[in-house]
Amino acid sequence: MAESLALPRDTSNPVVSALTVIAVQLAGALFLRQFLLIDDWRLVIGLLLLFGAALVLMERVPSLEARVEAAFARHSRLALLLGIAIVLAFPFVLEGNTYALHLCVISMLYAVLALALNFQLGSANIPNFATGASYGIGAYASALLALNFGVSFWLALPVAAVVATIFGFLLGIPSMRTRDSYLALVTIAFGVVIHQLLNNLEFTGGPNGLVGIPAPELFGHSFASPLVIFGQELPSQANFYYLSALLVLISIVFARRLHDSRVGLAWNALRTDELAARCQGINVTWYKVLAFAVDAFLAGFAGTIYAFYVGFISPDNFTFLVSVTIMTMVIAGGMDNILGVIVGAFLLTLLPEKLRAFSDYRILFFGVTVIVFLMIRPQGLFPQRLRRYGH
Amino acid sequence: MSELFLQQLLNWITLGSIYALIAVGFSLLFGVLNIIHFSHGDVSLLAPFLALSVISAIGSALGDAGSLGTFLLALLVAIAITGVIGVLLDLVVIQRFRQAPAMMALVATVALGIVLRELIRHLFPNGSNPHAFPRLVEGDVTIAGFTIPLFSVMVIVVSVLAVCALFFMLNNTRLGLHIKAVSQDRDAARLMAINPGRIFRATFFVASAIGAIGGLFFSSYAGMARFDFSIDVGLIGFSAAVVGGLGSMPGAIIGSLLIAGLDTLVQATVPNGASYRLVFVFLLVIGVLVFRPSGLMGRSLVEKV
Repeated sequence: MAESLALPRDTSNPVVSALTVIAVQLAGALFLRQFLLIDDWRLVIGLLLLFGAALVLMERVPSLEARVEAAFARHSRLALLLGIAIVLAFPFVLEGNTYALHLCVISMLYAVLALALNFQLGSANIPNFATGASYGIGAYASALLALNFGVSFWLALPVAAVVATIFGFLLGIPSMRTRDSYLALVTIAFGVVIHQLLNNLEFTGGPNGLVGIPAPELFGHSFASPLVIFGQELPSQANFYYLSALLVLISIVFARRLHDSRVGLAWNALRTDELAARCQGINVTWYKVLAFAVDAFLAGFAGTIYAFYVGFISPDNFTFLVSVTIMTMVIAGGMDNILGVIVGAFLLTLLPEKLRAFSDYRILFFGVTVIVFLMIRPQGLFPQRLRRYGH
Repeated sequence: MSELFLQQLLNWITLGSIYALIAVGFSLLFGVLNIIHFSHGDVSLLAPFLALSVISAIGSALGDAGSLGTFLLALLVAIAITGVIGVLLDLVVIQRFRQAPAMMALVATVALGIVLRELIRHLFPNGSNPHAFPRLVEGDVTIAGFTIPLFSVMVIVVSVLAVCALFFMLNNTRLGLHIKAVSQDRDAARLMAINPGRIFRATFFVASAIGAIGGLFFSSYAGMARFDFSIDVGLIGFSAAVVGGLGSMPGAIIGSLLIAGLDTLVQATVPNGASYRLVFVFLLVIGVLVFRPSGLMGRSLVEKV
């Protein structure tokens, strides 16, 4: 890692490096499109092998990875604009496949959840098995507001996030004194309590959950109706696609700003050595609780969008297993690495869906994949980097 | 003392003993390995399915599936195989995470638990459905005018014996002292010519076998074996070990009795208690950890600088 302290110098031709950026981004988008659209399990396995081969290549030839990275650093504005363009255009190339679009929405919501958890697990190394619970609190809070008081989606969104944040603070309080495995258990316990309450309380609809959450409306356009852009009709899922893409974008900006701020530095200091951080005058307790609150805040947003998107929520959507999956996304993707976490979220959301051919065996397959993955690449897909300063 | 009160008391200690058999394994493994083996509950609850398989195998081979001898043999075989499975899991998977960050091992063993549950579901005939599991002993005994089910007596006696045997083993045998040495300081133990790998495997065998007894008792207590029992039981066993203080055997037992006590109390007194029992149990867990951050009997965390 020492060699990457300074930004690698890009000495090659600017045109070549610009083309590299374009090629890598287009290849990524094409890969995702193909992965979403194919049905045959043999092709799915083939694409996974291709992905694995790309990873092995990056691992074997570090100079290649460094070149790509340098190209992205040099043309960051081009990369950003092209990235946005690809995300905007993506629904048009899915051939109106609603299922593929649906998977995109769910993946992006999980990407937000994984980014939320990344503040804790990646930046500060605080385990949290309750992200699923915060997600559920956001979903239930907004759904109850909409169903009982007719509150619109746009108002329910911030309110639900605030409610989830309050719960995040509540969870943070018992977490101030505990650590490691004990802290992990506190969050597991919190998650189980929330799940059991949702499952048993009268007003949350018990195990049947809440049904008939109305679709949001914007300027008279209902999100349940197809979206027409430039005369081309996209399925109704496209509304939520753009909404969740916006949320992912906000989360990324949020994550980057926090990472570069004193808060991010304080979290990293906590991760490295809590005692040393305390000696440097960092208010350890406050930053720990803050990490819980930030996690819950973003999870609350994701929960609200999920509730209004699917229109039906039940306690089973927010179990301990959901929290474990989010943990796995962060760890498998690469802790404290925004790109890695997002890739991890997409991979782990799409994998079980694409393995439907194995129908009953897919949970087994999923478990085995996670274990094998952690064994082979314990540092995650894209390992965390040292902070970089100075251009 | 009313009949009902006695019944609840007995229920409490029976359940507490079963949880303790599983919690002790969590604590023992953590003490030695310093990682959480989250799938320990799933390993323990493999035992009832193994016992059922052995019974049906003996039944089809010899034609006497009903006799007491067959049944006892099946239980012993199940306990031994579960112990071996524990060792195999260490060799194949858990071993790799010895040097990894603690959270990595935790997530990996959570996934391992999922795999074990799914394997039962697919490999055992009709694995998704509950299977009847017999009471290990039927009948009642009368002590001082109170009728007590023989099953509870047996569970309590066997659990006490098993835990005593574990304590004896840890404190008085060569293997036990080696286990304690490795848990105190792995490198110093190595310098004393103790092979940590061998100790890890021995610990996995002992913990899994004791957990298997707990798993068999639990299925017998519930009257059936289900592949998803281990989610709740494993979580409760883990909680009991953590509440008691990871690495402390007496702590694991106290934690189990505490959780089983609240569990029984809630089910007996709170209206609709059966559905709210986990809420109370886990609020207790949070409550205990707020006031005792390293468990009731845990070693207090003193940081070395």
